[in-house]
Amino acid sequence: MPDHAHGKFVPSSPRSGPRRLWKAFTARPDGGQVVVAGLIAALGFGAVVQVRADESDQLAQARRSELVQILSDLNQRNSRLEDEVAELQAARRELQSGAQTEEAALEQTATRARQLAILAGTAPASGPGVVVTIADPSERVQARHVMGIVQELRVAGAEAIQLEGGNDNVVRIGVDSYFLDPDGVLTVDGVPITRPYVLTVVGDPSALNASVLFLGGSEEIQDESLVEEHEDLLVDAVREPERPEYARPAPDDN
Amino acid sequence: MIPAIGLLLGIAAGLMLDVQVPLTLQPYLPIAVVAALDAVFGGVRAVMDGVFDDKVFVISFISNVLIAAFIVFLGDQLGVGAQLSTAVIVVLGIRIFTNVANIRRHLFHA
Repeated sequence: MPDHAHGKFVPSSPRSGPRRLWKAFTARPDGGQVVVAGLIAALGFGAVVQVRADESDQLAQARRSELVQILSDLNQRNSRLEDEVAELQAARRELQSGAQTEEAALEQTATRARQLAILAGTAPASGPGVVVTIADPSERVQARHVMGIVQELRVAGAEAIQLEGGNDNVVRIGVDSYFLDPDGVLTVDGVPITRPYVLTVVGDPSALNASVLFLGGSEEIQDESLVEEHEDLLVDAVREPERPEYARPAPDDN
Repeated sequence: MIPAIGLLLGIAAGLMLDVQVPLTLQPYLPIAVVAALDAVFGGVRAVMDGVFDDKVFVISFISNVLIAAFIVFLGDQLGVGAQLSTAVIVVLGIRIFTNVANIRRHLFHA
């Protein structure tokens, strides 16, 4: 190698740059080339490691000021999101309490509807009360007497009344019930009821009993009726709910 | 020939071995790589100019890497690490461009 003495190209060589490069490339290896190769290998290794580290983790490469910037960005975002969380939680609480209020109101309304349905006679009722049996074999009891005893029972606090006849017809007595006996047959709300009459009444048993015995007012009923007190009675006849034709709920403007 | 094989070996080793850069070296490795690139391009140019000397190359390579890393380290200590590393990258980039321009003249005579 005349032009490669001591690892040095002769500057005055007539060859051009690429040929010198090719010459160096194909030159016989010596110690200096091995050291250079080691350094260049270190360069390739470092570059590849750096590229891979950069791909794997951006944050690890960041400087302190960049990290501070990123951290403050994240903090701001965090606080914004926390605000949002608080807002949404407040909305959720509002909705929940609203739903609970609504549920309570619904429950209250349902309870009230059940109570009113018992009073209106549109729902079956059970409870303590009396059973008044009017046998009346001599047919002295007329519609007005039955109406009288119903009135007395109501005064004594009857809450649900049903009237059953010997012909198994049952009528729940309501606010608009009427009593007729056009042909000697008792007709309640258009339903014929034959003797013996059985009144099942839910209310305070002793008060109801007393009302029949002492406040009945008509001897016919007092003579013919038999009153039994019961702890648990079932009034299972119901009336069809009727929609008022003229009356409307009054505006609630107190 | 041997340096080219060395480059391929280094790249292969970097790809094969799953090496994590130590945390203390992480700010300096990119700068060191750029500085070494500058030394390598300077070496190629020297070969083409016919003035290549492997001792000079080894010393310039190592000193380039060390000085670049030291400047960045100093900048980090002074609180201007980001700016100084940018400055080092700019300077080395300019040198690489100059060297590549020389190589290009040799290759294309233009």
